[in-house]
Amino acid sequence: MPKKILLIEDEDIMINLLEKKLTQEGYDVTVTKNGEEGLKSMREIKPDIILLDLVMPKMGGFEVMEEMNKDPELKKIPIIIISNSGQPVELGKAKELGAKDWLIKTEFDPQEVLDKVAKQIGK
Amino acid sequence: MVKDEETRKASLLADDLVSLENYIHDLFNFSPLPICFVSPIGVMLEVNPSFEALSNLKSYELIGEPIEKLFEKSKIQEMTKETLEKGFVKGREISFSSGKEKKIPVQVFTRVRKDEKGDVVGYFLGFFDLSKIKEGEEELKKSQIALMNMLEDTEEAWKSAEQEKNRTQEIITSFRDGLLLFDKDGKLSLMNPQAEKFFGIEKEKLIGKPVSEFFHLSELRPLASLLGRRIEPLFRKELKVTEDFILEVSTILLIIKGKSSGYLIVLHDVSREKIIERMKTEFVSIAAHQLRTPISAIKWTLKMLLDGDLGKITPEQREFIKKTFWSNERMIRLINDLLNVTRIEEGRYLYKPVPYDVTKLIQTVIDSYKGEIKKRKINFKFKKPKEKMPEVMMDVDKMSLAFQNILDNAVKYTPENKNVTVSLTYDKKEIVVSVVDSGIGIAKNQQERVFTKFFRGANVMKKETEGSGLGLFISKNIIEAHEGKIWFESKEGKGTAFYFSLPIKAKNKIA
Repeated sequence: MPKKILLIEDEDIMINLLEKKLTQEGYDVTVTKNGEEGLKSMREIKPDIILLDLVMPKMGGFEVMEEMNKDPELKKIPIIIISNSGQPVELGKAKELGAKDWLIKTEFDPQEVLDKVAKQIGK
Repeated sequence: MVKDEETRKASLLADDLVSLENYIHDLFNFSPLPICFVSPIGVMLEVNPSFEALSNLKSYELIGEPIEKLFEKSKIQEMTKETLEKGFVKGREISFSSGKEKKIPVQVFTRVRKDEKGDVVGYFLGFFDLSKIKEGEEELKKSQIALMNMLEDTEEAWKSAEQEKNRTQEIITSFRDGLLLFDKDGKLSLMNPQAEKFFGIEKEKLIGKPVSEFFHLSELRPLASLLGRRIEPLFRKELKVTEDFILEVSTILLIIKGKSSGYLIVLHDVSREKIIERMKTEFVSIAAHQLRTPISAIKWTLKMLLDGDLGKITPEQREFIKKTFWSNERMIRLINDLLNVTRIEEGRYLYKPVPYDVTKLIQTVIDSYKGEIKKRKINFKFKKPKEKMPEVMMDVDKMSLAFQNILDNAVKYTPENKNVTVSLTYDKKEIVVSVVDSGIGIAKNQQERVFTKFFRGANVMKKETEGSGLGLFISKNIIEAHEGKIWFESKEGKGTAFYFSLPIKAKNKIA
């Protein structure tokens, strides 16, 4: 059984690229384009890991994490933040809310995303 | 008998008369006042020696002559008439001249003389020489005039001083900047209306008080904290009174005749400039953030193309994509620099200091430049103390960036086969890092702008088009936020040496 990844990200091109890269690597990728859908989806598919963008329409990444923290089942799922911003305040907050790792889009490339995912859940 | 008796009486009377006549004659001659006897038609009949002396004429030259010869004609005629009518004139001023001497002022008295029948036979005229008194009066008048002039001058000087004072007062009152004046004893002696308005406090509450008392007033506490208990020279220090009200405070030491006579505090309202600056910073910040999204999309797409994730590409395509990828990387660096600058300006550039080994930090940055140094054929040296150095409190990421910006310039602007030397020294107080290159240097007339935003040397622009001119601005801000200092020496065509120091605080010292 391939590992399940839930990608919550609103930008099409990033979705396409990440989906492609992760699928090629053999992961089972589900995509949602905002926080609300993301929460709904994670309850259904129970992913092994979540890649979460911070700034999105309807519900942002922080709110998603806050909601997940209220549910003991969801709270267990590891989260990697993917963001455009590298501000210490935001990173600190993400860590506080339980994010396992983070990456700034301009500073990482797709291969490093694979490495980080593998580090959390294995191939 | 009777006749004898009468004869004896008459003889006695005649004797008495003679002695009386002698007495009068002596008195007339003795009198120090000039006296003459004048006939009713104004002819002099008798003069005394004083009269002769004053007129400088002998009695024979005077007697029989009209009195008008000696006095102002119209006035003496009038006086003669008045004397004959009224019987006397008292103390009339008139001018006297014998014709030989110059005119002198005199005060004249007259009295009519009548015979036994009561008929007027003439009048006595006596006078005082007023010339001495007049001279004295003249002197007095002159002194008076001189005094008046002096008074006028003083008044004029006072008036112009007053005018000057009023003008200064007016300038102070209508000045757009707030002004506070502390006297040599450190007490507030002046506060203009603008300063009152800035702090919403009336000067009456403050005049005569030292800064130390300002700490007790909530309106003035921020200013007092900035000035300190003992005022010292300041230049355009920012004072945030409220979020939207920002003053720039300067203190100027007043020196009068070589002596310190107090401090003038100038408060300049820069709120508007600050708001505009903030808007500008916000704009750059938003623009840079917005740019990051598409730029990372480009980065990831190109990377996946290069990695072959999106299918096979020809070697030519690969070359082009590679170049595009590196251009994009440059854009990312530029945007990151811009964001760092906006964060510095917004005061959001956070520092999370931890104790860290500077040698390790420097080495890590140098390692990342190894390829570049080799490619550029630079003779690179890193000189460091043999022993382990004390750790310094620092934000490791930020400090790496600060050093990297300095090293990057040295490597980039040093020609092939020339030297770049990084040295590390320390004493009890601080660690000093130096980066000495034999590169193109900085022109003398541009040196003072080195740490300003967007500065790029004119010689650099010719050599390399890449570069944001933000690196050293960022470095300076990071180093200063660590309570360190940054400075440099440079000679165009010879090279540049950059130095920065970081304080070793007591708690960081290695035992």
